[in-house]
Amino acid sequence: MTTDSQWRRLDPRVIWIDGLYAALSLAPTGLTLLLLDEPGAAVLLPVLVAAAVGVFDAARDGLRWWKTRYRLTDERVEIRTGLLVRKERSLPIDRIRSVSTTARLRHRLAGVRVVNVGTGQPGAAGSEALHLDAVSRATAEELRRRLLAGTSAAIGGGAELAPVGDEPRDPDPTSDAADEPAGDRILARIRWSWLPHNVLGFWSLVTAAGLLWGGYATAGAFGVDAAGFVGGLLDWRALGPWWSAVIVGLLVGTLGVLGMAVAFVAENWEFRLARVRTASGSVLRTTQGLLNTREVNRDEHRVRGIEISEPLFWRWMGTADTNVVSTGLRIWSMHPATTILPRGPVRVARTVAAEVLELDEAQNPFRVPLRPHPPAALRRRIGWAVLTTTACVVVLLWLGAVLPALSDWIWLAGLGLLPPAVLAAVIAYRSLGHGIVGDYLVVRSGLLSRTTTAVARPAVIGWRVRQSVLQRRLGLATLAATTAAGHGWYAAVDVPAATAVAFAESAAPGLLTPILVESCEHAA
Amino acid sequence: MNRLSPGVEPAPVQPPPARPEQVEARSVAPAPAEGARSIGLRSLRHRVDRRAVWWWTIRAVLAMAPLVAAVATGRAVLDAARPWSTPLLVAVVAIAIAYVAVVPPLRYAVHRWETTPEAVYAVSGWFVREWRAAPVSRIQTVDTVRGPVQRLLGLATVTVTTASAHGPVVLVGLDLEVADETARRLTEIVQRTRGDAT
Repeated sequence: MTTDSQWRRLDPRVIWIDGLYAALSLAPTGLTLLLLDEPGAAVLLPVLVAAAVGVFDAARDGLRWWKTRYRLTDERVEIRTGLLVRKERSLPIDRIRSVSTTARLRHRLAGVRVVNVGTGQPGAAGSEALHLDAVSRATAEELRRRLLAGTSAAIGGGAELAPVGDEPRDPDPTSDAADEPAGDRILARIRWSWLPHNVLGFWSLVTAAGLLWGGYATAGAFGVDAAGFVGGLLDWRALGPWWSAVIVGLLVGTLGVLGMAVAFVAENWEFRLARVRTASGSVLRTTQGLLNTREVNRDEHRVRGIEISEPLFWRWMGTADTNVVSTGLRIWSMHPATTILPRGPVRVARTVAAEVLELDEAQNPFRVPLRPHPPAALRRRIGWAVLTTTACVVVLLWLGAVLPALSDWIWLAGLGLLPPAVLAAVIAYRSLGHGIVGDYLVVRSGLLSRTTTAVARPAVIGWRVRQSVLQRRLGLATLAATTAAGHGWYAAVDVPAATAVAFAESAAPGLLTPILVESCEHAA
Repeated sequence: MNRLSPGVEPAPVQPPPARPEQVEARSVAPAPAEGARSIGLRSLRHRVDRRAVWWWTIRAVLAMAPLVAAVATGRAVLDAARPWSTPLLVAVVAIAIAYVAVVPPLRYAVHRWETTPEAVYAVSGWFVREWRAAPVSRIQTVDTVRGPVQRLLGLATVTVTTASAHGPVVLVGLDLEVADETARRLTEIVQRTRGDAT
C-alpha cells in the first residue's frame, strides 16, 4: 500500500475563509448603524438577514471542515463527512472520468482550490461523485495527478508517485513544474474577437433587467429616487412614446451587452485548451477565469467524438459551441465539463475539433461535405408545416365561432403562420446531412441549433432504425447509432430507407449483416 | 432479474425452442415489403406470444378508461356544456374503442425478435416501427421483468441493456419459459465476454 493512506483533513485555511466571510457579512450591518442615525426597518432588515445568513453559513462550513476526512490509496479515494448524518463514500480510481478544480475569489486569496471528481454516472442527478472544498493548491495538483493516472499508474507508475505521497501537505513550490512535461500542447487560446458571439441576444436583455432592478432597489434602500432621476434626464413627453421606447431600448440593450461582456471576460480570462500527457495517457485540460478560476481535466481515453452546434439566430455570425462526446461526463449543467471552447466562430471550432481528434485538415469530419438527404425529407417537413398551420386555422375558426368577442375572420391570422413555418421547414431540411469520414460517423440536423456530431465508429454499440407510417410512404427512415458517450444516441434523421441499412453497415460493419434481406435469401 | 445460477450447464447458443403457434405464425407472416420504400431488413425469426395481444388489450383499456371516464364525468356535471360535450364524448369513445380494437393486433403483427450468438434484435411499435440491434459483446445487463398483468397471463419482458442510455433492446410479451431461457442464454454469453462494453 502507499505511504499516505492515512486520513487527511481539508485545508485549515477553509476556517480563515469562513471567519473572514462571517466578518464581511456583518460589515453591512455595522456600516448601516455607523452611517445612518436612525435606520428604518426597510434598510435594517435586509442587512440583518444578510448578516445572520452569512454567520450561519460560515459556522456550518466550519463544522463541515471539522467533520470531513478523506484519504487516497492506490485503488480508491474515500471521504467521510456530515455532522448529524455521517456520509461515507468510496470511489475506485479507475472509475474516475474527470477532475476539475475551481476557485472563487476567496479561495484564490487563501491559496486553496475546490476539487470536484466525476465518475460519470449518467442520469445520476445532483452533485459530483466527490467534492473536496477545499484543499491547498499543491494538494489539488497532487490529487489531480493521482486520480487521473488511472489503473496503469497504480501498476507501473508507483515510483513516480511515491515522492508526492511522502509530502502530501506542503511540497516545495517547484513541484508544480514537474507536472507540466514537455508533452503539453496548447490547442486553443481565447481571442477577444469572440466577444461579439457572446454578448448579443436574449440573455443580454435579462442581464440588463437584473442590473437595473438591482440598481433601483439599492438606490431605493438608501432613499434615492432612481425613477425620478431618470425621468428628469430628458423631456420624455416631448419625444413621444416611440422615440422614448427606442432610446430606452438602446440604453437597456447597451447596458446588457456591457454586462455580458464583463461576465464573459471574467469567466474566460486566459482561457486555454491543452492536451496534457499523464502517466497513463493524456487529458484535455481547460483553464479559465479572472476572479473565479476553473480547471477541468477530461480523460482522453473516454473521448469518443466532438459535437459542434450552431444556434439559428447567430448563424449569420458563424457562431458555434463545441463539446466533446465522452463517456462519463455530465451534459446537463450550467458549466458542463464537455465544453472545450467558449462560444466562438465556427471556423475555429472546426480547426480545434480536428486538433482534439488528432486528424489532418483533409480528414476533418467537420469540413468534409456531408451527403444531403432526399427531397422527400423536405416534403415531410413542409407537410408538418402545413399541418401545423391548418390546425391553428381550425382552432381559430372554432374560437371565432364560439367566442362572440372575436371577429369571424380571426382565422386569417392563422394563415400568417404559413410562411415562417415553411421557412423553418426549409432551414431544417438544409441542416440535414450524414456521412462517414475516416474513422468517424458524422450526422447533422437541427432547426434552432444545427448540430454536427462526429462519433468514432468503434464507439457505436448498437443501432435503432425508426420508420413511422408517413416515413414509410415517403421512403425515409431515421437511423440512430447508440453509444455509451454523450447523449447516448446520434441520429441521421430521414435518410433514404433503401440506403439506411447499407450506411449503418459501412459505419459499423457486421451488426446488421445477419438480418439483411439478402442474407435471408442466401439462406433460403 | 436474470435467473442464471452459476451451476447451470452451458447450452449451445441457438434460438429457444419455438412454440407451435410461433412456427405457425411465422409461416403466415407477410413477406417484407420490397422496393425503395422497404428498409432492407428481413423479418426477424420469432413473434411474441399470442397472449401478448391480451396484455396489450388490457393495457389499452387501462389507458383509455380514465380518459373516457373524465369526459363522461365532465358531461354529467356541466349541464351548460351539453351541446358540444355530447359529440366530444362520442368521439372519445369511438377513438378509445378503435384504439383498443386495432392497436394490439397491429402490435402483434409488427413485434418480432431474434437472438444470434453475436447480437440481439427486436422490432416494435405500431405507428412508428423501430428496429433495435445490440451486439452481445456490448450487453451490460439482462433483466426479466414481469408486471402484474403479465404474471396473470404467464408472460415476461426481457430487457437487454447496453452502456448507452438509449440502447436497450426490449423483448416484450414473451412466454415466461422462453423469456427465462433467452435471458439465461444471453447472460451466459455475456459472462464469457470481457471488457467494460463501452
